[in-house]
Amino acid sequence: MDILASYLRAVKRCLPRAQSDDIIKELSDELRSQMEEQQSALGRPFRDEETMAFFKQHGDPMTVARRYRQDHRSLSLGWELIGPELFPMYLILLSFNLTLTIAAVLVVSLMMHLPVKLDAFLVPVLAQIICLTVVFTILNLIRRKFPQPWYYPPAELAPMLPVSRWYSLVGLVMWATVAVWWLAVPHFPQLILGSGASHLKLAPTWHRFYVPMLLLLLASVSQRVLSLFHPTWTWVVPGMRTLINGASVPILYGLMFKSQTLVALADGIQTTPENQQLVENFNGLIRWGILGPWLWIYAGISAVVYAWYSVPHLRRLIHRIRGQVRSRVA
Amino acid sequence: MSPGNSNHDLFENLRLELRRGSLILAVMASLQTEQYGYTLRKALTDHGMPIDEGTLYPLLRRLETQGLLVSEWREQDKRNKRFYRLSEDGKAIFKQLLAEWQSMNSSLNGIL
Repeated sequence: MDILASYLRAVKRCLPRAQSDDIIKELSDELRSQMEEQQSALGRPFRDEETMAFFKQHGDPMTVARRYRQDHRSLSLGWELIGPELFPMYLILLSFNLTLTIAAVLVVSLMMHLPVKLDAFLVPVLAQIICLTVVFTILNLIRRKFPQPWYYPPAELAPMLPVSRWYSLVGLVMWATVAVWWLAVPHFPQLILGSGASHLKLAPTWHRFYVPMLLLLLASVSQRVLSLFHPTWTWVVPGMRTLINGASVPILYGLMFKSQTLVALADGIQTTPENQQLVENFNGLIRWGILGPWLWIYAGISAVVYAWYSVPHLRRLIHRIRGQVRSRVA
Repeated sequence: MSPGNSNHDLFENLRLELRRGSLILAVMASLQTEQYGYTLRKALTDHGMPIDEGTLYPLLRRLETQGLLVSEWREQDKRNKRFYRLSEDGKAIFKQLLAEWQSMNSSLNGIL
């Protein structure tokens, strides 16, 4: 019944808070009764594929929760941008991001003794609204184009849900492109330095981080290849991503806070104040922009999320090993 | 999309529309005697009105919010279940709806 509890938790997250406990209690009884009835007809507990079929028939947690929502709020501009299933999640994330953005701008302004003006908040707030709306509009479009999706399965159900080949393929193309770009950077520094490549070169510190980053990228590509050819090896995604994202946290931390300069003046370029400024600008851009805190925070959060998704796989593994040991002893 | 598919979709949409109104009547009729969700759904299915839980429970909630149903949590078979029945207002409205249904039915029979 762990799976049922996990499914109900996922439904609950999308329900109106005031009624969620009541709805979940009732839904739990209904699903429990249905499962018991079907299992007693079979004369045995469900197998994995039967469990998955049961929950699939009942529906994606977001869609189930939407049926209970009276408001059915959505975002549209003549056509639907964000449908009623995703809208509550969009609002929660938007409020969270905006609060964080406003707090960050305020703290930075106060720390740098800058006057707190409305202009300072405008661009980051607008950028948050636009980015999040675009991301959710794309997600909504995917949901409409491919109905009956289980993009965010509850953790206990995830081991029974084969990884979509389309999802693996998109990830493979994306990460292979990034890996090729990273491989090409030492030979074509303009790929990261742009027009500054004529005056700048990659400093020795850069090379300390280069190989670990390359290994992480290659591991990311391998994970997509494995998932593409073995979609039923569902442990590959959470297991490998926990390791990859977990390992990138200390590497990115070292890159941001422990490294000196990543970029230096190229040989034969004079050390003028303008050139020094150029070096500083590029170091700042790479450290705080391209490979900056956003990537570090993303890696940290996703490592935790994937570790959470790995727990049911570990539990199943332990259960299987115990079963094998017991049968050997018997 | 082929014409066959499009006709099938159109029929499905019209069928669902036709069913939607009658489902309320069927649920209210069944809840003249107290029942909980699972048994109500089975009773409806046995009478040829299958309804999935994703439709039934939100409908029960809506009818309760409208004051047509009353519900109560009680333990049965060592499990807490929510029992529904028609409220006094619900009984009155059900009588009116039933009369309306019967009148529509006879009119339709005449037309058909």
